[in-house]
Amino acid sequence: MGDSQYSFSLTTFSPSGKLVQIEHALTAVGSGQTSLGIKAANGVVIATEKKLPSILVDEISVQKTQILTPNIGVVYSGMGPDSRVLVRKSRKQAEQYYRLYKEPIPVTQLVRETATVMQEFTQSGGVRPFGVSLLVAGYDDKGPQLYQVDPSGSYFSWKASAMGKNVSNAKTFLEKRYTEEMELDDAVHTAILTLKEGFEGQISGKNIEIGVIGSDRIFKVLSPSEVEDYLQEAE
Amino acid sequence: MSRGSGGGYDRHITIFSPEGRLYQVEYAFKAVKAAGVTSIGVRGKDSVCVVTQKKVPDKLLDQTSVTLLFPITKYLGLLATGITADARTLVQQARNEAAEFRFRYGYEMPVDVLARWIADKSQVYTQHAYMRPLGVVAMILGIDEEKGPQLFKCDPAGHFFGHKATSAGGKEQEAINFLEKKMKNDPEFTYEETVQTAISALQSVLQEDFKASEIEVGVVRKEDQIFKVLSTDEIDEHLTAISERD
Repeated sequence: MGDSQYSFSLTTFSPSGKLVQIEHALTAVGSGQTSLGIKAANGVVIATEKKLPSILVDEISVQKTQILTPNIGVVYSGMGPDSRVLVRKSRKQAEQYYRLYKEPIPVTQLVRETATVMQEFTQSGGVRPFGVSLLVAGYDDKGPQLYQVDPSGSYFSWKASAMGKNVSNAKTFLEKRYTEEMELDDAVHTAILTLKEGFEGQISGKNIEIGVIGSDRIFKVLSPSEVEDYLQEAE
Repeated sequence: MSRGSGGGYDRHITIFSPEGRLYQVEYAFKAVKAAGVTSIGVRGKDSVCVVTQKKVPDKLLDQTSVTLLFPITKYLGLLATGITADARTLVQQARNEAAEFRFRYGYEMPVDVLARWIADKSQVYTQHAYMRPLGVVAMILGIDEEKGPQLFKCDPAGHFFGHKATSAGGKEQEAINFLEKKMKNDPEFTYEETVQTAISALQSVLQEDFKASEIEVGVVRKEDQIFKVLSTDEIDEHLTAISERD
């Protein structure tokens, strides 16, 4: 980084001490499609709306939920192209960790390294912050974990969280429904109900995506028909 | 008091505006529309067809050198809509990348991999201040070994999607409305139907009947997988078939 002509940061402090570009990046996230995650006692579920600009778009070609390692998955709210960059960098970092230590990367470490990348883009010359917030779901020796990473590079571990357009309603809904003893199946149902709350139009297996990871430690994106099954149970 | 809009530079380089938007990217989209050309792409059961207007602004120009339809490899085609100069840069880089892919990995670059590469490059321009986004929407077509005919569209924001049919340029929205009606029940078009749907969509949206020399048509078919630019005679056959059908 540090593009030659722009050896100065574009993200600078305002007189009131705010980093305005980061705030604008958060606004970009807040106008993105809703996504959420729930940590259950025996796994994690992450889900997102998948509203496509036209029926002409082939929904099979679009997958918003991505696998970073076999036991870590991620979903985003905000600018899709920016998320692709972060997914690629995270995957590489995970592989480099494995090459060095011959062990799969712990979830916290991967989250930290991804967050570091995001922070660098708020300070380096000639670049803008990422316009995405990420929800990272993983299962390692410490058990199931859910992290949210923001454009500023700050990250927190969550029991349940939501991002995007419908964030406040979704979070209120989650606060009411969340219990620590929840099992993965219940968590998936709760996730679907939360998405349904703010969903404009008819919810179906084709316009939402759900990713789960259980004690088998394998992150899996559910197929549209599996999502449909859960939707029917939730009726 | 805070210098909310970054001193007004949010319109000059790709930094965020207070509403969380990237003005430079939005202006790049406008540049695509302002080029005044509309393009259409349609995916059929075993073929893909793209069509664009051929506007030759000066009679003294050599018509054969005016083109927005480029072969990237023998099997992949790219239709650019927008600023011609930006399109040529993109095509040059795409050709290089596809050739290196073939050399490095020993098999032809698949359609979606090329589309993703172009989209990722476009994303870099939206995040780094030193380069502006390209004023081009690119439609990539080819036959995928496993998935069959594929049509991808990449835009200045770095988005890319696979499409059953799509459009770009001045009359993009009208064309998409037209195509949504035609593709509503997931019809499986034959090669002739694919080409004729694409051409008649363009004619309907621009409300004029074309001569073969006024449009460019590119196709790729499952039977031979090779990307071909149709000759004026071949285009004429399709135009005649359309007018007889109507």
